[in-house]
Amino acid sequence: MSPRRVRAVARRIASQFRRDRRSLGLLIVAPILILSLVGALWGTPASDTSRIAVVTDRPLPPAVQAALESLDSLEVSTATLDVAMAALREGSIDAVLSTRVGTVSTELVLTLEGSDPFRVGATLGAIQQAIIAATTATIPGPPAAVPALRVEHLHGGPDYTLLDHLAPLLIGLFAFFFTFLLSAVSFLRERTTGTLERLLASPLRRSELVVGYLAGFSFFALIQAVVIIAFTVLVLNVRYTGNIATIFLIEAMLVIVSVSLGLFVSAFARNELQAVQFIPVVLLPQIFLSGLLVPVDQLPDLLRPIAAVLPLTYANEALRAVMIKGFPLSDPLIVRDLAALAAFGVVTIAGAVASIRREVA
Amino acid sequence: MSQQVSAQASRAVEAPGLEARDVRKRFGRVEALRGLTLRVRTGEIYGLVGPNGSGKTTLIRCLAGLVRPDAGAIAVLGTDPRTAVGAGRVGYMTQAAALYGELSVEENLRFFAALAGVDDVARRIEATLRTVELLDRRRSVLATLSGGLRQRLSLAAALLHDPALLLLDEPTVGVDPALRRDFWAHFRSLASRGVTILVSSHVMDEAARCDRLGLISEGRVLAEGSAGDLVARTGTSDLESAFLALSEGPS
Repeated sequence: MSPRRVRAVARRIASQFRRDRRSLGLLIVAPILILSLVGALWGTPASDTSRIAVVTDRPLPPAVQAALESLDSLEVSTATLDVAMAALREGSIDAVLSTRVGTVSTELVLTLEGSDPFRVGATLGAIQQAIIAATTATIPGPPAAVPALRVEHLHGGPDYTLLDHLAPLLIGLFAFFFTFLLSAVSFLRERTTGTLERLLASPLRRSELVVGYLAGFSFFALIQAVVIIAFTVLVLNVRYTGNIATIFLIEAMLVIVSVSLGLFVSAFARNELQAVQFIPVVLLPQIFLSGLLVPVDQLPDLLRPIAAVLPLTYANEALRAVMIKGFPLSDPLIVRDLAALAAFGVVTIAGAVASIRREVA
Repeated sequence: MSQQVSAQASRAVEAPGLEARDVRKRFGRVEALRGLTLRVRTGEIYGLVGPNGSGKTTLIRCLAGLVRPDAGAIAVLGTDPRTAVGAGRVGYMTQAAALYGELSVEENLRFFAALAGVDDVARRIEATLRTVELLDRRRSVLATLSGGLRQRLSLAAALLHDPALLLLDEPTVGVDPALRRDFWAHFRSLASRGVTILVSSHVMDEAARCDRLGLISEGRVLAEGSAGDLVARTGTSDLESAFLALSEGPS
């Protein structure tokens, strides 16, 4: 081995890096960006209180009620059964607790929202802790006779797994990731090989080019969605309840955003290496903040505004609502999420068309 | 070879094929065009010759509507470049082959035919492939072809929609001498049907085939005339020496 030749190779790499300020910057800036996110996400104590409603028209034994209110990990409100169930369906509380008087026996009924296994675990744990406290002598007075606890689920069920919870988001993430990367790189190749030059010197309009890209990539993204859904349902036994056409509609809207974002971003890359560098910038914040790792409503206050400007946040919310909770297309939540994705689409398409204009000067 | 007369070309006999007047274009600190003026008649083959970086490609990109000049006026087929390009009247062959490597020869042409709104696609593709002698390779995937064959397909893509103006940026790079001769026979036949052709070149025997030549240097036309004129004017024996004399002479 010749030290001189080894040195020549090492020195050449250093010179190349020196000319490629972008890569050098990203090498330093990207980890700091990601670490800041992670720090804000996991460095602050999480709000792990479960929100439960106690039903007034079917009151709990006073000892249980008192035990619930003494727990820091529970935020207890009171409501009638109808109001409480509506709040549960809407997702503003995690569980409803009531007493059901039967002909044979009386039970405590805990209805869990059920779509998030972490929340289910935390809520169930806190309720059980309260019941144990009520039956033991930690509270003044004689130990109460507490009825048996019966657990019901609004969504999911006792055999509902983390995979069931995450599968809808993985569909969104895969679609976004692959179409973003593929469209960015293939449009970059149009630029670097000169075919874009040829296209722009033809009657083809820039908007036609962008819409053609969207159509072409959406087609493959939907095939990908079919394969992923089939695989998760048939092989991984993930349970879906929602309407498949609504799932595809959300998926298509997301892909329109990711493809046009890819086209836009390709204007700022000189080669494939630089295009790939956009992955940490565009993708990692969405992985961290769009609800995949931590539910959006449990994000630290600092990060919530960032989550609100990420397309995947809305796609995830909608996909989860449709696939786990079976929300219909007409549900206000789905309509709002689709409207948000449409707004992102308008902005990114306009950006993509404008980025092609830049080159024409 | 197609004998069809270009309707678009014959329509514009009176207006010059293209005209650039005092065109200036600056890219950051580099001034690519510094008041370039030239005029090419309809049906004329005009050769742009000049050293690397003299502004030939920038001029062609201006004429193809890809670059908007900072100053000066450009008319292409009697209208502005974007309009002529939008109407599918301009054929542009870029310096690099600029085609899709994953597609076959025929698929590439089918795509460009659709963009240009070509009618009777199958017949046009066959005729064009015959012109550039690629008919037997029509099913080959482009990435498997040699540089010279790609260059032929690149020309085919520029000719496909029967344009009234052809902008050719070094069209015969990597093309062997026999095929280059055939290309030029075809250019000549197109010009005789009223197609205006602007071609940039480094190859002197190619430049000699043009009706008129413009020597471009530092973003301006330094000298203009037929090959014979330029040789006579400089008192040299061949075109290459004439250009050297003109570029090195007082300007």
